[in-house]
Amino acid sequence: MAATDGGANQLEFSLDVPFPSSREAEIALRSLSPDREPRKGGIRKQLTVSGSKLSVKWSADEARILRVSVNSFLDHLSLVLETMEMFGPPVSQ
Amino acid sequence: MTVVIGFEGSANKIGIGIIRDGEVLSNPRRTYITPPGQGFMPSDTARHHRAVVLTVLKEALEQAGLKPADIDCVSYTKGPGMGAPLVTVALVARTVAQLWGKPLLGVNHCIGHIEMGRLITKANNPTVLYVSGGNTQISNDPSPGYNIEQMAKKGSQYVELPYTVKGMDVSFSGILSYIEDVSHKMLSSGQCTPEDLCFSLQETLFSMLVEITERAMAHCGSQEVLIVGGVGCNMRLQEMMGVMCKEREAKLFATDERFCIDNGAMIAQAGWEMFRSGQVTELEDSWITQRYRTDEVEVTWRAD
Repeated sequence: MAATDGGANQLEFSLDVPFPSSREAEIALRSLSPDREPRKGGIRKQLTVSGSKLSVKWSADEARILRVSVNSFLDHLSLVLETMEMFGPPVSQ
Repeated sequence: MTVVIGFEGSANKIGIGIIRDGEVLSNPRRTYITPPGQGFMPSDTARHHRAVVLTVLKEALEQAGLKPADIDCVSYTKGPGMGAPLVTVALVARTVAQLWGKPLLGVNHCIGHIEMGRLITKANNPTVLYVSGGNTQISNDPSPGYNIEQMAKKGSQYVELPYTVKGMDVSFSGILSYIEDVSHKMLSSGQCTPEDLCFSLQETLFSMLVEITERAMAHCGSQEVLIVGGVGCNMRLQEMMGVMCKEREAKLFATDERFCIDNGAMIAQAGWEMFRSGQVTELEDSWITQRYRTDEVEVTWRAD
């Protein structure tokens, strides 16, 4: 299988998530980025924040690997959003 | 005064506990129970935890009568354990730590058991036997279960089973295959009952655990034993360990099911020790890990 090196055979998927503030987008980023992908290879994802928007970009070798990762991410994202809803807004720094 | 909240969800229990200077202020917990005969799988377990984690968090705060501002540190189980459930709980811990502006601390689950055991029993410097369904610290092989314990209480006939101890290592794999082999012959011929087999299984396995514990005590010159981990609730194991301790004039410490079984307060307690000794986990380093050896943890909170 081709390595995840951004080659021509890669499937790509992007997701943009708006937040009420850049602080909250950063919080989500820092909660969602530490854990590694469970699979050893075939998928790479990158999280960035721009303004108050969290962007996620995936590169994958195969559709099913992509689906699993995106699905899992959306579950995790919804948990983070629910947590922020219930226990937010963030304290003033 | 230091108040720490601890999040635990590495196996089928999800618990969140709050400790203030050695006092357990709250310790709510939920257990994911699968139908009989089925073990718990990672994604189902994660789904269970996901559904209840925020409710349990609210309970922990309410029962302790505290607000987020009163918390000094947020600790959570970094590992070892099942991946998906660990992530679910870590996500909430990371998020509230940031929302509340509190430092985060990743705790080793086994250290949680040990530190809680020390807190509850006041054991000073014990030899610790950590024995649990998911995490037996002496081998990777399967361990005895609650159902076996109940049936064993009704058994009486001892059936000889393979006993494998080499120094500090034990092996349970031979016993299970032997039992699978021999049990249906013995049960159908009426030589013994399933209760007798459960009884014999416990006697054999627990003897192995007692032997290695005794060996560790002899090597370390220790006069205290602390049993932690879910299997530590087993009364027969505590009894057998007690006999060995009495012979050596050593003291045995054991906790009850509130703290033997996975819970959030034990993570909070380990977190409390670590935090007060100056440890903190940066968010980038807060990834969870399924494998996390107890001896990988730097114990900065004890001088001995």
